[in-house]
Amino acid sequence: MINFTINGQPVIANKGETILQAARKAGFYIPTMCYLEKTTPCASCRLCVVETDKTDGLILSCQTPPTEGLGVTINSERLEQERTNIMRLYDVNHPLECGVCDKSGACDLQNKTLEFGVSAQHFSAKDQHRAIEHWGMINYDPALCILCEKCVHVCNEIIGDDAITLQFGGYKSAVIPKNSEVLDCTFCGECIAVCPVGALVSSDFQYTANAWELSQIPATCVHCSAGCSLTYEVKHTSTTNANDRIYRVTNNFEHMTLCGAGRFGFDFDQQSEKNEAEFTKAVEAIRNASAIRFSALITNEEAMILQQFKKMLGIKLYNEEARAYQSFMAAYASVSGKMGFGGSLDAIKQSDGIIVVGGRITTDNPVVRYAMTSAARHNGAKVVYMHPLEDTLLQNVVTQFVKYEVGTEEGVIAMLASTLLQDADINDEMRKFFADLDEGYLCAESNVGDEEFIRIAKSMGRAKRKTLIIGSDVLNHKRAANIARLCAMIETYTEFSVVVVAPSVNTIGVSLICDLDADNGGDGVVGYNAAGEYTMGSIGDVMLKLPSLNSQEGTFVSINHQVLPTNVAVAFYGYTLNDLANALGLKSANTIDYTAQLPVAKGFNGSSFDDLGNFYGPLGEDDRGYILENIDVEIGGSLEEIEDLPEFNGTVVYRCNPVNQFNAYTARTSQLEKEATLSGSAQFAAAAKITDGDKIQIVFAGEMQERIFKLDASLKGTIALVPAYDVAYGAMNEKYRFEKVKIMRMGNES
Amino acid sequence: MSKVYFSTWRGEQINNIGKADDAWEKSAYNLPLEYNEHAHSKAFIGWDGVALFNPDVDVVRLATEYAAQYQVYSEACGRCAPGRWGGRILYDLLDKIARGEGAVSDMDHLKEVSKTMQETSKCEIGKTVPNPLLDLMTHFESEFMACITEQKPSKHYHMEDTNYIAKITAPCMDACPAHVDIPAYIEGVRDLRFDDSLMATRQTMPLAHTCGRVCPHPCETECRRTNLDEPISIMELKRLGADYETDHGFGFFHPSEKKPSIGKKVAVIGAGPAGLTGAYYLALDGVDVDVYEELPVLGGEVAVGVPEYRMPIDKYNQDIEAVRDLGVNFITNSKVNADMMRQFENDYDAVLVATGTRISKKVYCDNERPEIQGYWGAIDFLDKVNLQVKYDIMVPEADQKRHMLPTNFVDLTGKTLVCVGGGFTSMDVVRCAIRANAKKVVMLYRRDEATIIKNTTYEEYHEAVEEGVEFIFHSAVAKMNDENDVLKSLIVDRYELVPDPNGGRPQLEKIEGASFEMECDYLIPAVSQSADLKLIPEEWEIERTSWATIKTNGKDYMTSRKGIFAAGDCEYGPMTIVNAVGQAKRAASVMARYVQSGEITLLDDEIMEDHLRKLKVYDKKEKIQGWLPGLPRQHSEVLTPDERKDNNREVKYGFTQEEALAEAERCMRCYYIAMVAH
Repeated sequence: MINFTINGQPVIANKGETILQAARKAGFYIPTMCYLEKTTPCASCRLCVVETDKTDGLILSCQTPPTEGLGVTINSERLEQERTNIMRLYDVNHPLECGVCDKSGACDLQNKTLEFGVSAQHFSAKDQHRAIEHWGMINYDPALCILCEKCVHVCNEIIGDDAITLQFGGYKSAVIPKNSEVLDCTFCGECIAVCPVGALVSSDFQYTANAWELSQIPATCVHCSAGCSLTYEVKHTSTTNANDRIYRVTNNFEHMTLCGAGRFGFDFDQQSEKNEAEFTKAVEAIRNASAIRFSALITNEEAMILQQFKKMLGIKLYNEEARAYQSFMAAYASVSGKMGFGGSLDAIKQSDGIIVVGGRITTDNPVVRYAMTSAARHNGAKVVYMHPLEDTLLQNVVTQFVKYEVGTEEGVIAMLASTLLQDADINDEMRKFFADLDEGYLCAESNVGDEEFIRIAKSMGRAKRKTLIIGSDVLNHKRAANIARLCAMIETYTEFSVVVVAPSVNTIGVSLICDLDADNGGDGVVGYNAAGEYTMGSIGDVMLKLPSLNSQEGTFVSINHQVLPTNVAVAFYGYTLNDLANALGLKSANTIDYTAQLPVAKGFNGSSFDDLGNFYGPLGEDDRGYILENIDVEIGGSLEEIEDLPEFNGTVVYRCNPVNQFNAYTARTSQLEKEATLSGSAQFAAAAKITDGDKIQIVFAGEMQERIFKLDASLKGTIALVPAYDVAYGAMNEKYRFEKVKIMRMGNES
Repeated sequence: MSKVYFSTWRGEQINNIGKADDAWEKSAYNLPLEYNEHAHSKAFIGWDGVALFNPDVDVVRLATEYAAQYQVYSEACGRCAPGRWGGRILYDLLDKIARGEGAVSDMDHLKEVSKTMQETSKCEIGKTVPNPLLDLMTHFESEFMACITEQKPSKHYHMEDTNYIAKITAPCMDACPAHVDIPAYIEGVRDLRFDDSLMATRQTMPLAHTCGRVCPHPCETECRRTNLDEPISIMELKRLGADYETDHGFGFFHPSEKKPSIGKKVAVIGAGPAGLTGAYYLALDGVDVDVYEELPVLGGEVAVGVPEYRMPIDKYNQDIEAVRDLGVNFITNSKVNADMMRQFENDYDAVLVATGTRISKKVYCDNERPEIQGYWGAIDFLDKVNLQVKYDIMVPEADQKRHMLPTNFVDLTGKTLVCVGGGFTSMDVVRCAIRANAKKVVMLYRRDEATIIKNTTYEEYHEAVEEGVEFIFHSAVAKMNDENDVLKSLIVDRYELVPDPNGGRPQLEKIEGASFEMECDYLIPAVSQSADLKLIPEEWEIERTSWATIKTNGKDYMTSRKGIFAAGDCEYGPMTIVNAVGQAKRAASVMARYVQSGEITLLDDEIMEDHLRKLKVYDKKEKIQGWLPGLPRQHSEVLTPDERKDNNREVKYGFTQEEALAEAERCMRCYYIAMVAH
């Protein structure tokens, strides 16, 4: 703690905090143009200069920590003069096109120009012609760019793409793609978000609306389990169509980060009229159903309604994805004594040691990746990535890649647990379990050498804040329960906290709310966003259309165990699940009446929907919904002997969506790229006897698929990637992600 | 002292305007009056003032060109609002005045924008560029006003009679023998762009892992932050970029793309720091390079001299691999002799001798006979230790016998070892002896504790003391006592510093009667080393220095024989790694041009580099403005003596990210721009 003063007022700074941070916390305003809370200071604008009683010249408050007893002055005539001159410099030759600029009305340059009263161009310099760059979903206008470097900093420090850089050249400086002619990145669009002016804009949004015409709808992203906060910005569709549509998504970029699916994949809403006849059919179908099969793209409140159906009508509930998660966590809790795992995105971000096992993090859950990038950059975290497939997008984050054979997760995680629990205070029975592990066999079959575990122990040895991230590969593994118990041991008996990456937006919520039954097929199944004899929902060619998740209010449970509210961006004129429930005898005016009834026994706190906040405070305080209580449960689980490790020889396919694609919603948005090929390495192609561009047929997860094969130079080995987002009711997250397949070549398109 | 017409350099006010040539007052500084052997300088302008060497200088044009150079040097600008736009405005307005289109208000705007740049720019270059411009506008106002009121160009505006040569520097860059762009690599750390950081280092220094660990960092002595509180931990911050590349398994981040082969071949003799550096930059320039190394391993003295606990070999090998990555061909186990050199002269377009100094000098005591067992030269001792520790190359039987070793590695269990020295090599000897389990390890040093710290580092000395090395200061070996050619004991004289009654330097004088006998098994002379130059054919009559090293002019590193170059310790005498790197980098640059043109030339940048070093960029009297004093220098964690003294684990952990970032934040980016008009 450092005591100092600002304008004579006492202020306290924590160790590591800068003058600017301490000032903001204490409610003082220091102007900035380039400062971004979540990255290291860019220090380019120089507006935040202050005076102190220990220096003659002005010092930069964004990068200087205060010293004990320092007297800081943040306003004075001298400072005002220099800050005004900086704004005058910023305004030199800035194009006078505010009338059409996307940023107008929400532009930092406009705001500060007005704040400092710069009403005319005071200095002059020769103007230069600068061409606009078109980078796919992003346009860049160097003439508007003020070179604050925020975009470059987020891209490198938070996202990890490291795809843009500054071309230094004084007055001609510009932002350019790094090591590439055109922008080659994952198109998260965070550079657009942080741009304080209209230099980086969404090419789709550009020139379609002014900032002040749009209404902001705070919501939660529905594409993965991260539960990101986002704002749908809506206005009427056109002069002839008064219905709102979503024009863009924005985010509170100071404090959170959004991926490209969240930012650009927003137009998945659909519309419907009220068709009474169909409604009646639907009511009857449910009343007579044996089971309802549903996806995890569902709110807690809807899940609650389904649970009521089960109780009231005695029907079964099928959701294999959530059921797998449920049984994984039940086994986990039987060792840890807690219903949920203990880690969070924030824990990952704070880590200086991270181990990831069993998932393709960059595409499964980009926000987990961003947290890892942030930890790698800001904390110098050692990151161990264990998976059968190397991920080139993670190269600048991962410090040790450990490749294991497909299917050997149980053995690998047992060895990992044995490594990490070496010095842990565990009982004799557990100690014996690890002593009895046949390490030679496990290492040989998983193809992970002993030295890899020694290296893990060494790199984690010096780490102080450690996280183990468990990917979704293991949720549907045959030995999931034992894997869960091993992971729980690591969390319980070491300093590691654990995060289990649930596959869908509300896998966790469903697993807590619904009593799920094993899906054995059978007749009389109603499908809600899933296959069935009678189908309803917002995905696929359904009989009764129900609102998409951006047309619903309700809550989800995120990977942080946070209950997060979402709101209606686009009104839906058809029926809702609650209407069906009421017709079947339940009584609730609105779906969100169920929010307060979410099960307290599972950690929900009984809050009603309207009491839930959905915003970040000015200092980044997360005031969105609430965190579930992590309920104590009975301990009783014990480790089972490791089963013989399976072998997956020949051509193996891994279910893995391309960047920014997650589900049937993202599949039908207009901006996101829809790569749907089977992609594999040259080695895979040779093994499968196919070449680039071949049309092939595979049977994957029990279904026949036809796809084009694409050679991907970033891949190695004999495992190819097959997407699942584009198959409406496919076996999305219900089966083990790897499968040995037979490839049938059907011809070549090219 | 320099003869000047006018100077405001470093605050001096010398104005000889209107005075007769012989009545000129002189400048107190080493200003670059002669640009090179072909050209006299007309003016020198830089961060701390301006000096004119003759009355005919067009000061308006000079100001304009200086502002223009600031624009050109893109690497140092474009990163802050005042510098970026301010610099452009300075240039535009000055040029407007110079070409005869200026207005009186332009002078006011120039002053206003200058003040904002001085107060708020990100780095010193933006803060200091206005300084000499304001000096000129103040002292030569009439010349500026003449252009404005008469609306006509300045006197030489349309003449191309003057060359304007500019150079970016910084106090630390100037002090570094390799002139590493230190502010850039620290900025890379601060911005978390570790690849950029490493590429900045590798522009002039390929051995980033190595010089992030074992450099004596002369830059830190001339770090401007010292004037405010404590110097930046410059050396260690170099490791961040190197570790980033290694930890993530990236390909090598070279500072620029390797040029396609130009069809020229160079032989480099010796694969130590100088040889590796020469090879690296020659290869980068498209020259085919063969490196001949006498030892079975690459790396020279840093590999076989510097111990593992200070310089882990796997890290050094990364640096070496970066050189190999450019296609350099290494030939080990190949000791070059005079016949080979004669052949090389025909086979190659040029030869770089970088053989170091590998002969341990004597301590000059009585009975100092090399055949006495237990008398063991430091270089050979360290060779034997390091070859085994780092490469598992065991001590050959003959040497084992010769040095009374019970095993085929250096095991000193039960033995007493005495080392005579005081420099880095002697520190390596005693600390290796501790790790070889010696019973007792003693360092004899002629001077005192403060001097040994000055000659090595504070850490190095204290770590040795912590590990149990006994230091006896003000002492020297007078005699070796042997029994049948086996060392038994030493007679050690004691000295004291006697002040000179005439006020001169105190003298070391032997204390009569204080000598003592000391039993020991080994005496390791580590006082200094000399170069083995037997490979140079005698008939070449290559000039030597008075220290028996190869003589060059210290600028282009060509020896007295055309096409034969020399760099590193064999040229300079035993010195630092970074000195070897700096020399070899320059030699490579000269050689890359020589093999194409047959001419020995220096780049303007190199000429300016030498001028600035003579002038000295760092000013220890300068008062720092614009930075808050009192932010402590970070120190990285070190293994405890018990954790380290019986093994070869690296002693220093290196910075944590948090420490590194806090340290990088302290860097003041003291870039400056200097320009000569000739």
